[in-house]
Amino acid sequence: MNSEKVIFAFFIVLALTLNFGFFLGGMDNASHHNIFELYAALVVSMIATILKVGDRTHLGAVFLATSLVADLQLIAAAIVWGYTEHVTEASLNGETLSIVVSLSGGALLANIISVVLLVSETITVRR
Amino acid sequence: MSSLFHILFRRLRSPLFVLVVIYAISILGFVIIPGVDDQGQPWKMSFFHAFYFVSFMATTIGFGEIPYAFTDTQRFWALITMYATVVAWLYCIGMLLSIFQDAVFRQQMRINSFRRRVGNIREPFYIVCGYGDTGTQLTRSLTNEHILTVVIDIDENRITELEGDDFKSPVFALCADASQSEFLEMAGVKHPWCQGMVTLANDDTVNLTVAIVAQLLNPDLRLIARAETPEAEANILSFGANEVINPFETFASRLALAIRSPSLYCLYDWMTGISHQVMKEPPVLAQGLWIISGFGRFGESLYEHLDDEDVDLRVIESDRTKRDLPAGTVMGRATEAATLRKAGIKEAVGIIGGTNIDADNLSILMTAQEENPDIFRVARQNEDKNAHLFEAANLDMVMQRGSVISNTIFALIKTPLLGDFLRIVSRFKNERSNELVSSIIGVVEQDIPDLWEITVCAEETPALYQILKQRPLLVSDVLCGNEMTEDGSYKRTLKTLPLFLRRGEGNVLLPEENRFIKEGDRYLMCGSIKARDNMMLCLNNINMLEYILTGEDKPSGWVLRKLWEYRKGVGATSVDDSFKDSDADEELIKAEDVTEKPERAKDVKSPSDEDKPTSNAPSDTGTNKDE
Repeated sequence: MNSEKVIFAFFIVLALTLNFGFFLGGMDNASHHNIFELYAALVVSMIATILKVGDRTHLGAVFLATSLVADLQLIAAAIVWGYTEHVTEASLNGETLSIVVSLSGGALLANIISVVLLVSETITVRR
Repeated sequence: MSSLFHILFRRLRSPLFVLVVIYAISILGFVIIPGVDDQGQPWKMSFFHAFYFVSFMATTIGFGEIPYAFTDTQRFWALITMYATVVAWLYCIGMLLSIFQDAVFRQQMRINSFRRRVGNIREPFYIVCGYGDTGTQLTRSLTNEHILTVVIDIDENRITELEGDDFKSPVFALCADASQSEFLEMAGVKHPWCQGMVTLANDDTVNLTVAIVAQLLNPDLRLIARAETPEAEANILSFGANEVINPFETFASRLALAIRSPSLYCLYDWMTGISHQVMKEPPVLAQGLWIISGFGRFGESLYEHLDDEDVDLRVIESDRTKRDLPAGTVMGRATEAATLRKAGIKEAVGIIGGTNIDADNLSILMTAQEENPDIFRVARQNEDKNAHLFEAANLDMVMQRGSVISNTIFALIKTPLLGDFLRIVSRFKNERSNELVSSIIGVVEQDIPDLWEITVCAEETPALYQILKQRPLLVSDVLCGNEMTEDGSYKRTLKTLPLFLRRGEGNVLLPEENRFIKEGDRYLMCGSIKARDNMMLCLNNINMLEYILTGEDKPSGWVLRKLWEYRKGVGATSVDDSFKDSDADEELIKAEDVTEKPERAKDVKSPSDEDKPTSNAPSDTGTNKDE
């Protein structure tokens, strides 16, 4: 058993599940999307990225790429949220919320790819 | 480059992890803990404000309690997180600094910058493996000629020493094992501008390994290796087009040459010596009994070469267990006068101090002089640092291992044709070599002589190449007989001498003046430094060359040239005519070349048979031209 791989699997799956939880619900319904869930998804996704940084294998580099994509999408979502609430002084309406949710949806796709890669890698290890 | 990033990020993984986790917990805490606004109403920090506060708190900037003054609960949490985040940052920065000081990381950085600099080279360069006494001298000679050099040495101290030295052109150095293909490749063995490689390690096996690896990586590479045993020499010579320098062998054959033909010795000494020195008078070496003290590798090769010249020899050897000593060897310490007397020092004409200890050699030669003041003294100098001692001893001849190799290699690098030229000349009879030396002295006169090579091609001699496309030229038109004087006036003098010509596979010694120059010819030239500079100027500048060939100063600009041609009455039709003429001439050359070929072949095989007019003195050409 490779503990490093297991830890990485934990974080990448957690990133997916948290992100999925945030994404789930009506696109413009603020009550369906919790900011804490977005925050947790972003932090876990960043940790998953750090775990793959400096990996020389090809698969490791692909993991790094996909989780970086997820990070960027989630950071963009967080910035949109924070900007509308604090700079434009307007409360989060359905229009901006749908931007945030669709950005997190993109991150979700990247997370799914990461998990698919993880599963396929795990299957090829016959030990 | 990529491996640098990998080392950096892999080591930074855990500090970054700690940083992200501590930040996440701190921010979360501030968002959850309730606070009050300026009106005393309950208020909760948003993620935006929490992130802002944690960011300036963690980096110790500390703007204060923004946007509203904290409650005690918030201050309690801030107290905890401020230490945690500062520690996380210190951990990150400390790790980053330690990575930059890490030996592996620094070596990787050096390798990367070395590889980048070598990769960016866009001029001819040489690789020197081994920066000992010989390597240092060779690198200095090369950089003095503004030849870029790449140095590899396994010893870090030597590389540090090199970095402290001043050179006239850049030297790229790497501390690495040259026998590893990875580093040789990095040093540019496969680089398109790499002219050749010189391997100068003290150990023959290392030289052999380097030679094999380099040969495998780049079979076309010109390789010059140092070897101290005949086995290693034969081994390196057995693959590829390599040159091997054995310092003992080189010096021994040189000494034998000095006895056989002083003028040839002089020629060798001058051609493979450091440039910028006046040709020396040949030493007078008498025939008679020679004493060799020390029968190691040096003594053995000396014995072999001098024996071939039928010199009477006597060997002194202190090691009684040594085998295969020649007959008549005197056993004993040569530093003692009694041993020297036993070897016949009184009748001897020369003595060679050839042990591997410098102090012994000096002692032997000093004792020998006391016993026989007229004796010719030859010393082997083992270490570079003892040069002053040997100079002070005022000996007749000193064999410095380092400079023997570095000078020979330098001459071979500067003028690759020299090796073949010297090989042919070494078979000369005494009279012919005297003639050659005197004709060189005739060309050079009192000036400092120099050797250089000319290749007839568009890159190196564009002017000559361009004119050659239009009309045929004779050797005497450009390579000897003509020179631009300093004030730019037209003058015919002969200050240069073409020594050797390589055309395709054929070699011509002392090419005749009435030979046609052809594209791709390589000439080994000899003359004064000033003549060399002037010649290179002419061969690169078409206006200058035209002026020398015709005596007419043509304008270089297009408009003025057309005007000039018009004034001269050279119309478009006549230009066409002249082209036709040159075509016809080319046919002529071809025909002539066919007839020339057998003659040339003969030239190579038996250079001494033919009586070529080697003494093409300046006046001869002058009169020919006038006619």
